[in-house]
Amino acid sequence: MSEITVFTARKIRTMNPSMPEASAVAVRDGQIIEVGTLQTMKPWLEAHPHRIDESFADHVLMPGFIDPHLHPSLGAILLSCHFITAMEWKLPDRTCAPVRSPEAYLARLREIDEGIEDRAEPLITWGYHKIWHGAVDREAINAISSTRPIFVWQRSFHEIIANDAAIDWMGLDRGDLERHPQIDLTSGRFFETGLAVATKAMNLYLFQPERFKQGLELVKKAVHYGGHTTIGEMAYPLLDDLAEWNFLSEAIERDDVPFRMQIIPRGALRGAWDGAIDDELARVESYASRGSHRLIFGNGIKLFTDGGFFAELMQMQEPGFIDGHHGEWLMAPEMFEALARAFWNAGKRIHVHCTGDLGVELALDTLEKLQFERPRVNHRFTIEHFGVSTPEQVRRIADLGALVSANVYYVHELGEAYWQHSIGYERASQMARLGTLARHNVTTALHSDFTMAPALPLNSAWVAVNRIAESGAVIGPEERIDLDAAMRAITIDAAYVIGMEHEIGSIRAGKKADFTVLEADPWETPVENLKDIPIWGTVFEGQPFPIAK
Amino acid sequence: MNGRIPIILMSGYLGAGKTTLINHLLAADHGRRIAVLVNDFGAINIDAALISDQTENTISLTNGCVCCSITDDLGTVLDALTTREAPPDLVVLEASGVAEPARLACHAGNWPGFELDAIITLLDAETVQIRAGNKFVGQLVKSQIEAADLLILTKTDLVSHETRKELTGWLERRAPGVSVIMTEAGNVAPELIIGLPERTRSSQLIKEEPHEDCFSASHWTPPAPMRRDALINNLAQLPPSIHRVKGFFIDADTGKITLLQRVGLRLSFEDAPMNADVGFVMISAGSPQELERGVKILSNAIDSSRLHA
Repeated sequence: MSEITVFTARKIRTMNPSMPEASAVAVRDGQIIEVGTLQTMKPWLEAHPHRIDESFADHVLMPGFIDPHLHPSLGAILLSCHFITAMEWKLPDRTCAPVRSPEAYLARLREIDEGIEDRAEPLITWGYHKIWHGAVDREAINAISSTRPIFVWQRSFHEIIANDAAIDWMGLDRGDLERHPQIDLTSGRFFETGLAVATKAMNLYLFQPERFKQGLELVKKAVHYGGHTTIGEMAYPLLDDLAEWNFLSEAIERDDVPFRMQIIPRGALRGAWDGAIDDELARVESYASRGSHRLIFGNGIKLFTDGGFFAELMQMQEPGFIDGHHGEWLMAPEMFEALARAFWNAGKRIHVHCTGDLGVELALDTLEKLQFERPRVNHRFTIEHFGVSTPEQVRRIADLGALVSANVYYVHELGEAYWQHSIGYERASQMARLGTLARHNVTTALHSDFTMAPALPLNSAWVAVNRIAESGAVIGPEERIDLDAAMRAITIDAAYVIGMEHEIGSIRAGKKADFTVLEADPWETPVENLKDIPIWGTVFEGQPFPIAK
Repeated sequence: MNGRIPIILMSGYLGAGKTTLINHLLAADHGRRIAVLVNDFGAINIDAALISDQTENTISLTNGCVCCSITDDLGTVLDALTTREAPPDLVVLEASGVAEPARLACHAGNWPGFELDAIITLLDAETVQIRAGNKFVGQLVKSQIEAADLLILTKTDLVSHETRKELTGWLERRAPGVSVIMTEAGNVAPELIIGLPERTRSSQLIKEEPHEDCFSASHWTPPAPMRRDALINNLAQLPPSIHRVKGFFIDADTGKITLLQRVGLRLSFEDAPMNADVGFVMISAGSPQELERGVKILSNAIDSSRLHA
């Protein structure tokens, strides 16, 4: 056995209600031996060789942050692009200052263009938002470069604006582009189904293996930068199991990587929703033997009900959307039920992507049937994302023993936009209704679904306690939660949602020695400033990993 | 003609019989090179004697047809078709049971190198009305009916005569003027779905006789140029049992040979090569009398001023 290391700190916020605060934590071989004060842990220290590490004497330790739902592969693609965003994005390799006028947008784009020497190298920028950046069109981008293909990728991923060089670079017949009802060559806009035509060309560039690998390195940094020590890959594989497994194990199963990842397999592979259920069960079981130290296949599986929230394809109960369009099912409801039943009866922890209140309704109706047929306790059936819901559904969630993992960042980024353009004020202001969940004692985690939200747990917690929308106004104040609940949602309750609460999520003897090291105490910081608390770095299984400045 | 490959989108909720129909289409002797894109490869059931080659995601048939599984990205699968040694004459795209057909048709039908031919929706006669009232899929099933150019009611042998009649009325209210083909198993004549081969000449055509699996076709050569607006008017009066009209005619206003295609109520005109043979082909699941009536209606669109000139 190795020597014990004792980390002392200005304060340790353990997230263990039985001993909420401490000033020292003793660690050996990656595990917490004892929590308390140097005085209380004397018997351990007298019995075993140890050293005292005082480097965190001015810091506050918390349990390592947990994001139970993000997608490293998607993140890898986006992080290799240039960000020009109306909101501040803090990334490990750059902080993107808010850009909030048409002039500032084009000036920043020009600056990026001028910074790339090769005049033919494509430039893909993400974050454009008409509300802030005005109507950027083909001509405006042509004025920046006539030789470099420039793609302006809208914040919600549903529109691309291209300059002439980019349109030429796609190598497509102009006639094919002109006739497309969702491509407007005059303004250079590719939207809705026209978007796929533009991304077809962009993908050749974005998915180059070297570029993807670099992107994955950036994702690793982003995960560390947010203060995480555990993440959940909530729907594996994205595309191709073996290729992805190789990429991920090569990138993550390394001594210098300060986090672990629980991998939650898709309960059904894409494009094969109608596949045989026994095959899906067998596939999920076959992953289990494959885990390694940092990559863990747990007992969870992922299913889907309705479409994407940013894409406005969530399934809504009456009265639906202002413009009368309809959402989508990602799985046929009968198929969803059949798969859920098979995994429920196999004892799995089922995570269900639900974005609209009709999606939530399907998940709950199904859970209710399954509970009737074969009751289970402690099943941890989890509603993922939780965009739009009703108060009555929250009560059912509580009654059925389900959990929620919410992307509360929707409130900040989409609350006002969906009020104005999608579903109106009442429902938009109550999206991600965390307050009601708290009033019904539903265990709730926060997640980023990165890149749908920044992979910054303190930022998610900041939205949860403040509900400050894009403009700075508070939206849906009754659905705010208190700081304790928000901090639980990125630590111990997040651990519970992915079935790891016995190992991580709080600081107590026997758990992994994972800490997030903060420069200030969240409980002594005004809640409006929660997201701005600097993070020194993390300790992963006893080993300190400072964030590179 | 523009050289784009036509796509027929085959929509319908779970259990509507899409796979049965696809199996039937692939194996049938229709003289066309069809690429069928499916979601669930496992359900495809083709006589081994007809298979010339099989890989993980593609089955090639001796009749020139090919069946591909849509793995992740539809665009990638479509692109792969255009680079085949012998690109298909026609693509039949099986929509997933939960696809909104209008959205998918916009995507696939505007993909570079392709164009939409028709949206066909299959409906299970036994369950379609129950599904249309279901709180989770009701809207979807209604969208699938409303988006269709042609409706195929399957499993009609499993419901009573009264139910069939009632269903027909219900569909007529949901999708006015859209023709409905009734089938027992998946035995729809492929011609009703995919039309007739490009090279069909009148001499090869059945003479307005009902075909053994219930379709009839007729060929008619307009004796003079025709006006588009008159054609549009008259086509609207065709009996709904005439599912497909395809014809080359001389446009009375431009003097150009023009191709007209009509599937259900979807109508398109485009320029045709100057050497194309003038003539119309109509396909119907109804009686020969209805086809005759159809010819009469079309012939009323003749620009008679030219005829007598």
